[in-house]
Amino acid sequence: MTSIMRSVRRMKAVFFARNLEYLRDRASFGWNLVFPVLIVFALAVVFSGPPRALFTVTAVASDSLPELLEFPGIETISSDRSKALDRLSRQQTDLVVEVVGDSVRYWVNGNSASGAILELLLKYTEARSLERGETDGEAIRYVDWVVPGILGMNMMYSALWGVGYVVVRYRQSGYLRRLRATPLTKFEFLSAQVLSRLLVTLTASTIVFVGTNLILDYKMVGSLGLLFLIALVGGLAMITLGLAIACRTESKEFADGLLNAITFPMLLLSGVWFSLDGSPNWVQMIAQVLPLTHVLEAARAVMLDDAGVTDIAIHLAILIGFCAVGMGLSIKLFKW
Amino acid sequence: MFLNIGRVMPEVILSVSGLEKSYDEVVAVAGLDFEIAKGACFGLLGPNGAGKSTTLAMLEGMEDPTRGTVQYYGCPLPSDYQTRVGIQFQATALQDFLTPFDNLKLFSSFYDDPIPMDQLIDQFRLQEFLYRDSRRLSGGQRQRLLLALALVHNPEIVFLDEPTTGLDPRSRRDLWDVVSALKADGRTLILTTHYMEEAEILCDELVILSHGKTLLQGPPKQLIADAGVSDLDTLFLSLTGETLVKTQEVIE
Repeated sequence: MTSIMRSVRRMKAVFFARNLEYLRDRASFGWNLVFPVLIVFALAVVFSGPPRALFTVTAVASDSLPELLEFPGIETISSDRSKALDRLSRQQTDLVVEVVGDSVRYWVNGNSASGAILELLLKYTEARSLERGETDGEAIRYVDWVVPGILGMNMMYSALWGVGYVVVRYRQSGYLRRLRATPLTKFEFLSAQVLSRLLVTLTASTIVFVGTNLILDYKMVGSLGLLFLIALVGGLAMITLGLAIACRTESKEFADGLLNAITFPMLLLSGVWFSLDGSPNWVQMIAQVLPLTHVLEAARAVMLDDAGVTDIAIHLAILIGFCAVGMGLSIKLFKW
Repeated sequence: MFLNIGRVMPEVILSVSGLEKSYDEVVAVAGLDFEIAKGACFGLLGPNGAGKSTTLAMLEGMEDPTRGTVQYYGCPLPSDYQTRVGIQFQATALQDFLTPFDNLKLFSSFYDDPIPMDQLIDQFRLQEFLYRDSRRLSGGQRQRLLLALALVHNPEIVFLDEPTTGLDPRSRRDLWDVVSALKADGRTLILTTHYMEEAEILCDELVILSHGKTLLQGPPKQLIADAGVSDLDTLFLSLTGETLVKTQEVIE
């Protein structure tokens, strides 16, 4: 038997043992279903506030904006033209305006009633010359937009806690020390943990994806294969991040703190529940260093805009980078 | 130390020379020298903090010495040393929700030529709790399972770190039977224990440690005879007077 075959045999054994442990842990399994519901509830409370604006306008330039935008009931956000027109075609914004010299250029979505009302108001209130543009596209319901967020959030929790916390528990209980006294190598142990959690994460995501689509019939216009690839690479990126956190940590309490310190920023800044368009630049910069942001941007591009592999290549490349760094650090620093 | 006139000198399987281990400023083991004969049951005795577990960890290959060497048949420990030794740790958790059967299957798969599971199940009498969650085993059942896991690959040397601590007298005697059977198989056993009776019954050779140093070394019966005491318990207390004095202080 070659050393590779021995290695595969040992990895397979640890992989199956970990899967068995997960499947028999009914309390933990149940919690994985309850927790997202609790998070939704918590966010609903935290973000409850004054009623939302009646209309949303996206401004491409921020100087000399039309007087209309100062009216109560109109929320204005800033963005570049390309993103703004994408949002308009999905009816995530009702009007796009751009001030060019002495004239105001604006775009409306031909299918949007809100856009038509805003166009009338703009004509009535704006003294400068107006230049009209039009896009079309069906409205994106909130559910269409938020489903990738929920799938991504579940993946994040499952990956980070399912690996990070479990490895620390194994260490604290002395189980890793017991494994160290066998021919099992660090690489074999870590690979088995990654593969086991990846299987769980992808299976759970697929079940949630198919199940919720049957009930909610949300928008999915892109390639299922590409979406699966995003889930695969994104899942791996977050699992290896969990491993890197757990590679030396000896206390479950400390691991709790570290995992929370990583999951909360992703939960708030990666665009799980709301778009970050219009948020300050520094917030968007932080979001770009979080793996969940790239998972969600790529998944939404595929699901809502039928993006191809080249359109999301940058996100995939960044996620693969996260995987390489996470796994490299884990193997290098791992302590039994 | 194993030199006996008229008898063939047993082969030395492990030899320790100038062994030291320090953790920052704390010296856990302060220079040990001894040899372990193949097929013998070798005991490391001493009060808490004497350096037994640290010495054992270095013999197991789990810790590197600060100074000194551990040799296997006169050579440095080989890279596949872990396949030649079986270790029963003092405190080991197993994966939650796995049964003894699952654990035996898992640990067997780490080795090329494991002992058939049926044989291990019979030898360690695991049938009655084979499919029970390992967290719900009694102390004696758990120790039998851990010993079976340490032996799945038929190791040449077996390390037992306080294998009977916390067990009731009956479970302790059960485990002595198992250890005696392993000894009869010709395996080399290295154990640490707090129980003098256990050491006297099971061990062929003892090292009594205190503060990381050897206090006394030799076969139990010879040590008792040389000291002119009735048993190992009395000898141990006379050697580690600290314990006796402390006990008296508490009584007073």
